[in-house]
Amino acid sequence: MPAIELDNLTKVFASGVTAVDRLSLDVADGEFVVLVGPSGCGKTTALRMIAGLERVTSGTVSISGQVVNDISPRRRDVAMVFQNYALYPHLTVYDNIGFALANAGVQKAERDRRIRAAAAALGLSDLLRRKPRQLSGGQRQRVAMGRAIVREPKVFLMDEPLSNLDAKLRVWMRGEVLRVHKSIGAATVYVTHDQVEAMTMGDRIAVLNAGILQQFGPPADLYARPVNLFVARFIGSPEMNVYQAATDTDGALVLGSQRLAFGQGPAPGRRGEPVVVGIRPEDLTLGAPGDPGALTAEVRAVEQLGSELHAFFAIDARPPGGEEATVRNVDQDEALPGQAHNGVARLDPRSGVRPGSRVTFRVDPARLYFFDPATGQATAWPSGQPGQPAPAASASATAGPPP
Amino acid sequence: MTVSIAPPVPAPPEAAPESRRQRRRKERLAARDSEIPIELYGLPRGTVTLLTSLAFLFALFTLIPIAWILINSTKTQANIFETFGFWFASPFEFFHTFGLLFQNVDGYGTYIQWFGNTALYAVLGGGGATALSAFAGYGLARFQFRGSRLVFFVIIAALLVPITALSIPLYLTYAKAHLINSIWGMVLPSMVSPIGVYLMRTYASISVPRELLDAARIDGAGELRIFFRVALPLMVPGLLTVLLINVVTVWNNYFLPLLIFNINTKYPLTVGLGLWSNRAVNSGDANLYPMLVVGALVTIIPLIALFLILQRYWRGGMLLGSIAN
Repeated sequence: MPAIELDNLTKVFASGVTAVDRLSLDVADGEFVVLVGPSGCGKTTALRMIAGLERVTSGTVSISGQVVNDISPRRRDVAMVFQNYALYPHLTVYDNIGFALANAGVQKAERDRRIRAAAAALGLSDLLRRKPRQLSGGQRQRVAMGRAIVREPKVFLMDEPLSNLDAKLRVWMRGEVLRVHKSIGAATVYVTHDQVEAMTMGDRIAVLNAGILQQFGPPADLYARPVNLFVARFIGSPEMNVYQAATDTDGALVLGSQRLAFGQGPAPGRRGEPVVVGIRPEDLTLGAPGDPGALTAEVRAVEQLGSELHAFFAIDARPPGGEEATVRNVDQDEALPGQAHNGVARLDPRSGVRPGSRVTFRVDPARLYFFDPATGQATAWPSGQPGQPAPAASASATAGPPP
Repeated sequence: MTVSIAPPVPAPPEAAPESRRQRRRKERLAARDSEIPIELYGLPRGTVTLLTSLAFLFALFTLIPIAWILINSTKTQANIFETFGFWFASPFEFFHTFGLLFQNVDGYGTYIQWFGNTALYAVLGGGGATALSAFAGYGLARFQFRGSRLVFFVIIAALLVPITALSIPLYLTYAKAHLINSIWGMVLPSMVSPIGVYLMRTYASISVPRELLDAARIDGAGELRIFFRVALPLMVPGLLTVLLINVVTVWNNYFLPLLIFNINTKYPLTVGLGLWSNRAVNSGDANLYPMLVVGALVTIIPLIALFLILQRYWRGGMLLGSIAN
C-alpha cells in the first residue's frame, strides 16, 4: 500500500484555470518523490491538495490507503515545510518546534524530549530561546524543518524549501534534507522548480507541465529516456539542443544547410521524413571538418566555469515548432543579449574556444534523441533501443519501479 | 529579505540583559542613522521652512485650548472671567476645586461618580468593541464565506450613518427592550464599531499571512487556537489602535447617554459636565465654572495617559523572521 496515492487528481480554480489535470502517482513508504516543473505548472497546487489546504475538484488523494479528500489538514498527519518557512514570529524556536506537539496534547516532558531531539538533529540546540527574527536564513529554514520532523509524521511535504537560500547553503541543505529524510523514513513529496535539485534528491521525479504529468520515474531514466521534448529539455543543464531536421534516404541527417553523414544510419525511424533531433551539450565534442557527423557552428558566447566550458553557438537549423519551442527551463541562462544562439556545447575548459570563432563538432549518431515533430513524443533514445514511449497521459507506466 | 522600516537590531540573547531604556536608546539611534537627511529630500529650503512653520502654527492652534484649561483650572470663578486667560492669577484654587469634584455640590450629581460611570462604560464598551472588531475583522479578512463581501459592505455603509439620524428608532427600541436607564443600553451599542471592524479587517489582511494560518492548520491547531495563538499576537498594534479609538469614542459619547439616561447617578462625564455647564450659565451664583474647568481637565487626562501608554506598542516588524521572500 503506497503511503500517498493520487488518482486522477484535478484542480480547477474558480477563475476556470486548470492547475492540475488528472494527476496520478503514488509515493511508497520512505520514498522521496520530487514534483518538478516550471513555475505555474501546478506542482505547488498538487502539494497543497495532498496537505488539505486546497479543495480537490475531482479525483482522490489517499494517505495510507484512506481517501482524505474531505479530511481537514489537521487530521491528515502530514507535516509540511513552506517555501517561505512561515515561522510563528512571536514564538521562540522552542515553541515553534513544539507548537504541533502542544496542539496534539503531548505531555510536557515528552514534548520537551522530542523538541530537544529534533533541535539536536538539526543543530538548533543553542538557538532554542531565540525568536525567528534573530536567526539567519539557513537557521530559519532548519527551524521550519524541525517543526515538521518533530511530529514524526507519516507524510512529509516540502514546498521549495531551499529556494530562499543562497547557492552554497542550498547545496549543503540538500544533503541535510536527505539525511533527515533517511532518518525519519517518511514518505516525502518535495516540490521544486530546480531540475538540479530534482535530479540530485529524488528517488523518483514527476515532471509536470501545465498541470499535466509528463513523466514519472527515477532521475537517470528521465535523463536517458525522456518521453517527450518537454522532459528532454527540462531535465539536464545546460538544456538539450533540439532542432528540426530531416533524414536522408541513406541515413544522413540534414540540419539546416548542413548534411551530417554517418557511416550507418542514425535509425530515427522512417527515412526521408522530418524529425526533431536532440543533442545533449555533453555529446558534442570538438572534431575536424572531414569527420563523420561533423557539424560546423559559429560560437557566439562562452561561459568558462573552470571545470568545464559552455560554448553557445548558432547553426542555421530551426527550432522545433509549436509551443514546445517556447518552453524553456527557468534555471537556464537566458539568451545573451545581442548574441543570439540556438545551441550549447559542454567542452573541456582547456579547449580554447573563443566567441566569434567557427568550430566543428563531431556528432555521435548513437547519442542522438529523436522526437516526432508533430506530437513532440520521443521516437528514439541514445540507448540504442528505439523505444515505443507511451503517450504522456499514461507516462507513469513507463516509469521503473521505486528503488 | 525586504528591508524593514525600523531596522531590526537583533541583540544576541546571550548578551547581558540590557535595560529597556538602553535598548530603546539604541533603537532610536539606529532609526536616526537609517533616516534620509532632510537635505536629501530634494525640497528647496524655503519649502521646508514654510511647511515647518505651518505645522508649528497648527500645533499651536491645537494646543492652545489645552493650555487655557491648564491655566484656568487654578483660578477662582471671578478670576476666570476677570484676568488674562493665558496667565495665572492668585489665589491658587486648583486643589480646593479638585476636592469639590468628590462632593455633590449642588445636588445635581457628583463628578467622581460620573467619572466612574464613564470609565465603566469605556472599559466595557471600548473593550467589547475591540474584541468584536478583532473577531469580525479577522473573520472577514481570512475566511471567504457566502455573503462575506455583502457583510463587509453593510459595515462600511454603517460608517456613514450618523447616530442622530437613528435617535427616534433607537429610543423606541430601547424603551421596548427596557434598556432606558440601564448600563447595558450604553454598553451594548458601544460594542458595535464599524470603523473598528473595518480597521481590523484591513490590519489582519496585511499582518496575518495566510501561510502562517496554513502552517498552523497543518500543525494540527483548531481555528480558535489559531486565532488566539497565531493571529491575535500579530494583530496587537492594530488592536491597540482600535482599542484607543473605541475607548475615546465611548469616553466622549454625549448623544447616546443623553438619550437613554434620565437618572443623574448613571450619567457619564459628558452628560454630567453638560448639565453643569447649563447650570453654570443659567444660575450665575452656583460658582460652577471652576469645577467645570477642572472637571474638563480631569476628563482628558486618562485619554492622554492611555495614548502615551499604548503608543510604544505601535511598531512595525511584527513579522520579522517569519516569512522569507
